[in-house]
Amino acid sequence: MADCKDIMVYVETAEGNPVKVALEMLSPAKELADAKGGKVIAVVIGNNIHDAAQKIAQAGADQVLMIDAPEYEKYNMDVYADVLANLMKEISPEVLFIGGTQDGKDLAPILSSKFEAGCASDVMNIKIDDTGKIVFTCPLYGGTILEDIEITSFPKIAVLRSGAFPKLEDSTTGEIIEKQVSISNDCIHANIVETVKEIAESVNLEEAEVIVSGGRGMGNKDDFKMVEDLSNLLGGVVGATRPAIEEGWISKIHQVGQSGKIVAPKLYIACGISGATQHISGIMNSDYIVAINKDEDAPIFEVANVGIVGDVKKVLPIMIEEIKKIKEAQ
Amino acid sequence: MNILVCIKQVPDDSVEVHLNAEGKPDLKNITPVVNAFDTYALEMAARLKESSEGEITVVCMGDASAKNSLKNCLAVGADYAFLINDAAFEDSDTRGITHVLKNAAKKIEADTDKKFDLIFCGKEATDAALGQVGPMLAEELGVGVITNLIDIQLDTDKVTAKQETEEGYRTVESKIPCVVTVSKPEYDPRYPTIKNKMAARKKPIGNITMSDMTNIKAEKVGKENTLVNAIKLYEPPKKEAGVKIQEETDEDSALKAVAMMAEAKVF
Ligand SMILES: Cc1cc2nc3c(=O)[nH]c(=O)nc-3n(C[C@H](O)[C@H](O)[C@H](O)COP(=O)(O)OP(=O)(O)OC[C@H]3O[C@@H](n4cnc5c(N)ncnc54)[C@H](O)[C@@H]3O)c2cc1C
Ligand SMILES: Nc1ncnc2c1ncn2[C@@H]1O[C@H](COP(=O)(O)O)[C@@H](O)[C@H]1O
Repeated sequence: MADCKDIMVYVETAEGNPVKVALEMLSPAKELADAKGGKVIAVVIGNNIHDAAQKIAQAGADQVLMIDAPEYEKYNMDVYADVLANLMKEISPEVLFIGGTQDGKDLAPILSSKFEAGCASDVMNIKIDDTGKIVFTCPLYGGTILEDIEITSFPKIAVLRSGAFPKLEDSTTGEIIEKQVSISNDCIHANIVETVKEIAESVNLEEAEVIVSGGRGMGNKDDFKMVEDLSNLLGGVVGATRPAIEEGWISKIHQVGQSGKIVAPKLYIACGISGATQHISGIMNSDYIVAINKDEDAPIFEVANVGIVGDVKKVLPIMIEEIKKIKEAQ
Repeated sequence: MNILVCIKQVPDDSVEVHLNAEGKPDLKNITPVVNAFDTYALEMAARLKESSEGEITVVCMGDASAKNSLKNCLAVGADYAFLINDAAFEDSDTRGITHVLKNAAKKIEADTDKKFDLIFCGKEATDAALGQVGPMLAEELGVGVITNLIDIQLDTDKVTAKQETEEGYRTVESKIPCVVTVSKPEYDPRYPTIKNKMAARKKPIGNITMSDMTNIKAEKVGKENTLVNAIKLYEPPKKEAGVKIQEETDEDSALKAVAMMAEAKVF
């Protein structure tokens, strides 16, 4: 058993599509499987999920196990954990990858307990060292310190951070295998009885090319609108720091940073943001950072390509006007 | 309602932690505090107790310094507190911590002849933000778990919880007993009154060690028995700073910045 080299990847779906991190996980999975001489075995659970399975088969998985039945239509943690546990027993993979979504972060420790498998959370990087050991990089203390860890158990479980791994470019033709898994009804302890969406807008920070973010320095909800105006003008997405969200200027889904979204836009504009490590660690992959802050010693300037020392409430209106002019002239 | 709240002591999360000269996290001048999410968990438990009566026990696996944190919990709603401390537990990973917490809960249940109906944890500890111990504890105990709570309601044989999601919330029901993990609710944890502070100072803090727990397995705890090992600690690479613009007026600075951005073709 302990010589099985396969990498199992749990593919979460949303509205019938694989979530973004599921596609991203296939690239480190493939790298590990190639290095170890194993296969990438993806698992999709749901109802009428053939399209999702197809996408995964074309995105880097050698095999896609499709667990497709009406009883899996609605997500239930206990049921999904049981299905995954059954498959893990059957496949006995060396590593299970789970995407770092809210539900993925719940499933991982449950499976970790079931198999006494060591679990790495919020994995930002994976490498194989000279001795063939798999090394996972995870943040500590909000990302101010990074830790390289190894997992000594078999199997190993890793929860991968969304946005940390690039999707594979080549399309592949993995095989789709339909599977029945029988689960025991007494595994169900809890049930979701209602799902409420309070935010109608879709906010895709992770794939945005331009992000304009506002922090506490925006001062109030009205002035925070300037951030939204600039973002609209640039065709971008609005981001925010935790304090801006706690003040109620914008909803939590816009949070950028350690406990929000890890982003990688071409242009990131930070308005009235100090540059705490928990925020910076989420924007390090931006190509070009512009920062506006009245404090010339603000740490955000240490990572900004262009830093403007000044009052954001005076700077932003001028930037907006000037960019408008340039755009109109184009 | 008999409630257990698991608290972890962590370095104050408003202070940035960096590595010291020995390459270890420099925690020397950072105050140890109760993990923020655990203070939310205790507050939610205290409100539940006040609305439906019951008792709250807090446990913390940690070193002797955590007694102070436990005292603070006694001042804001907890009735009993236990420190779980043994040299054998040092540097346990989440499997070890979960194993110890489970056995400590069993011991307290046996001593008081009362089962816990609800076990509260934080959604994650702010040190490593793993979010593992709550769900693992539920799995070890063979009960359900609801994570990321922002509200909870109690019926005779079940709890109904509001689980925070990115886009809103879910209503989740679980049989009792169960484990719940708490995110940031709409309210803040209460401050202790002077009276409660004084009272808490007089309350005893129980001590639980390895030998107090009958079913504990030595091969699951401590540094030698971790499934996850640290190989190396380092700080993330810094990005190079670019130019800083500070002209006579904010207007001039803004115009200069836009010119540079246009030059760099970033919009
Ligand atoms: C475990 C943990 C996780 C966290 N996760 C996140 C996360 O995901 N995302 C996140 O953002 N934070 C996170 N934080 C919080 C983080 O530590 C900081 O508190 C936060 O990023 C600071 O936000 P800010 O820059 O908006 O506010 P502040 O730090 O208060 O900075 C405001 C800045 O605005 C400037 N300013 C004020 N007025 C003006 C003006 N008129 N013009 C120009 N500049 C002005 C000030 O000089 C200051 O630099 C986390 C913290 C912890 C402990
Ligand atoms: N040493 C500990 N003692 C008591 N409770 C703990 C301990 N470690 C973790 N917990 C609980 O488990 C939660 C999640 O911790 P973690 O899995 O480390 O993120 C915390 O918020 C606590 O409620």
